[in-house]
Amino acid sequence: MDATERSMLEAAAHDAFAAAGDRPLDDALATLGWPEMLVAEPRDSIDVVFTALGRANGAATALDDVVAAGLGLRPRPALAVLLPGFSHWRPPGRLEGGRVRAEGLATARVTTAGELLVVCGPGDGSGAAHMVAVPVAAAAAEPRRGIDPGAGLHAVRVDHPAEPSGTVPWDAAVALARRALGHQIAGAARAMLDLARAHALDRVQFGRPIARFQAVRHRLAEALVWVEALEASLVAAADAPGPETAALAKAVAGRAAAAVAAHCQQVLAGIGFTTDHPFHRHLRRALVLDGLFGSADAIALDLGRRLVARRRVPTLVEL
Amino acid sequence: MRSGHDIGRSPTVAEFRDRLHEWLDAHAAELAPRHPLPGTLDEQVAQMQRVKAITYEAGWMRHGWPERVGGYGGSPVLRTELGAALAARDLVDPGLFSLVEVLAPTLIDFARPELAAQVVPRLLSGAEMWCQGFSEPGTGSDLASLRCRAVPADGDAASTTAWVVNGQKVWTSLAQYSDRCVLLARTGDAGSRHRGITAFFVDMDSPGITVAPIEMINGVREFCEVFFDDVVVPADRVLGEVDGGWAVAMSILPYERSSCFWQRIAFLYRRLEQLVGLVAGTEDERIAGVVGDAYVQLHALRARSRVTQHRLASGETLGAETSIDKVLVAAAEQAVYDAVRRLAPATVALDDSPEGERWRGEYLYSRAATIYGGTAEIQRNIIARRLLGLGADD
Repeated sequence: MDATERSMLEAAAHDAFAAAGDRPLDDALATLGWPEMLVAEPRDSIDVVFTALGRANGAATALDDVVAAGLGLRPRPALAVLLPGFSHWRPPGRLEGGRVRAEGLATARVTTAGELLVVCGPGDGSGAAHMVAVPVAAAAAEPRRGIDPGAGLHAVRVDHPAEPSGTVPWDAAVALARRALGHQIAGAARAMLDLARAHALDRVQFGRPIARFQAVRHRLAEALVWVEALEASLVAAADAPGPETAALAKAVAGRAAAAVAAHCQQVLAGIGFTTDHPFHRHLRRALVLDGLFGSADAIALDLGRRLVARRRVPTLVEL
Repeated sequence: MRSGHDIGRSPTVAEFRDRLHEWLDAHAAELAPRHPLPGTLDEQVAQMQRVKAITYEAGWMRHGWPERVGGYGGSPVLRTELGAALAARDLVDPGLFSLVEVLAPTLIDFARPELAAQVVPRLLSGAEMWCQGFSEPGTGSDLASLRCRAVPADGDAASTTAWVVNGQKVWTSLAQYSDRCVLLARTGDAGSRHRGITAFFVDMDSPGITVAPIEMINGVREFCEVFFDDVVVPADRVLGEVDGGWAVAMSILPYERSSCFWQRIAFLYRRLEQLVGLVAGTEDERIAGVVGDAYVQLHALRARSRVTQHRLASGETLGAETSIDKVLVAAAEQAVYDAVRRLAPATVALDDSPEGERWRGEYLYSRAATIYGGTAEIQRNIIARRLLGLGADD
């Protein structure tokens, strides 16, 4: 995708999401050519689509497609994927005695798809994960409103007869999902910063816009530092793709989301504390996205354990 | 074993890096410091000049510098790779070594071509040391307020054959070792701010220059006060235009904020790895979390710096957005050394072995990361005004 095609896609995503209003964005994504573009141009389409989703605070089930593509499957609307439980990234299922038993999360696609894909352990880097597809009717899916009802997540349990079919690259799917979520968080963080910046320029106290107070300016500056650090980490994860760079990008995303949300909420002050103002939607979404495929805390701890075990601190990306 | 002379004049960055590391492996014994680390400042400076001489002789130090100053041309990224490789192997202190990046480009861009051709190879090859005389006692973050004064020795600014400098500089790194100084002095009236500053290339053995090293919090006398009493500087040592010194000062920023940072980053990875070696196996359940957090911070910085270097290499002009890199490099450096203090507190506080001295000195030095090169507060002011468009502050 060249720069022109990319900016056309960005504009199209923005327009399609704006036109959809509060409705789920899956139909809008389909009109853009998703998920075919995911197969043809994974790097740019994940970047553009998930950034736009984050900015729009949109509800969509495109993460299922990303995981499916990461597993080497052809993504399609009728295929839902069981996600690991909150804060985890191990395969959500296990196979024993001719049955698949699994516990995890799912997007709203679990209510409309025909099949639910369940990847079964160990997912310890050995690559020996297996995949089974079960009818969605065989899964017990319960909506989880939680802190962000708009995210459309469901808690899912599966207990169904199944036999393994071939191994799948779970670690690759986790890496791709983490990149997508990182972009979505980056979009949400930009949206929070835009809201706080606009408020700081608009809100007058003591006879001047609060944007003129250094304490306010420094919070917004720090928020921008985190957003840009996150975007650079996502470039690194795309240029040097692998489990480690994706894990680091997701960890930076979680850290960035927390820092940006804290600074922007403080700048927005009273209005950011109400549901009249859109800030709270982004804050909620960021908290949920941080927990999908591993929170920043959990990933940093896991990375730290690996560094200590190997006595090595690799640089991972080069010039 | 191919040296830096025979890998061609425009190697790819990856090719250069691979060949360089092969060569550094083969010459490890020759390049290794002759003293236990950290060593005294005298030993560190001597080591750096020795490493420069060896790598210049072998051609590596010439890549990425223009041919008209004795270089082999090619992307500046090549010299960044060299600095990073030397820092990552503990062969040079990255803070001292990267001074080349803030001094040589100034001469290349602003000195008379004959002068640049004469002196830059001497800096690169370790034959000379130079320093940078910018900061003054009353001029920290507000560089445009500097007061050190240069006046024409005879006639006016256009016709004079020499300038006479009076005033004081401070925080001048390695002035006591330096043969030359890139000096900023006021040539306009007292209130002329950035419009009335001129850059000079001054011989440090000129009569009237006094150097007084300052002992820092880490016990090192790296920074100096430099006093100028009626110091005569020939007019052909003006860098750039008279009253054009601000442009000279600003031109350093892209190198300081790309190449120097990449070298510092390479060093910080090395030190985090050495911290892991120091504390791995001790009964401390916080190790993985603390190391992991520092690693995430360091990666965010490296990823950002990489984007910046790629922009520079593709010909973009770097500007205010490098303030983000500056905030990140300070945060990451302090994160790494906060990890050192948290996981090896007794080493930092009480270990009198050379290793302990080194960790302690670096820990203390890391506190300056949010101060030097423009404080973290100045960077956030720049980000707010220039990148976020928040207008002027109060």
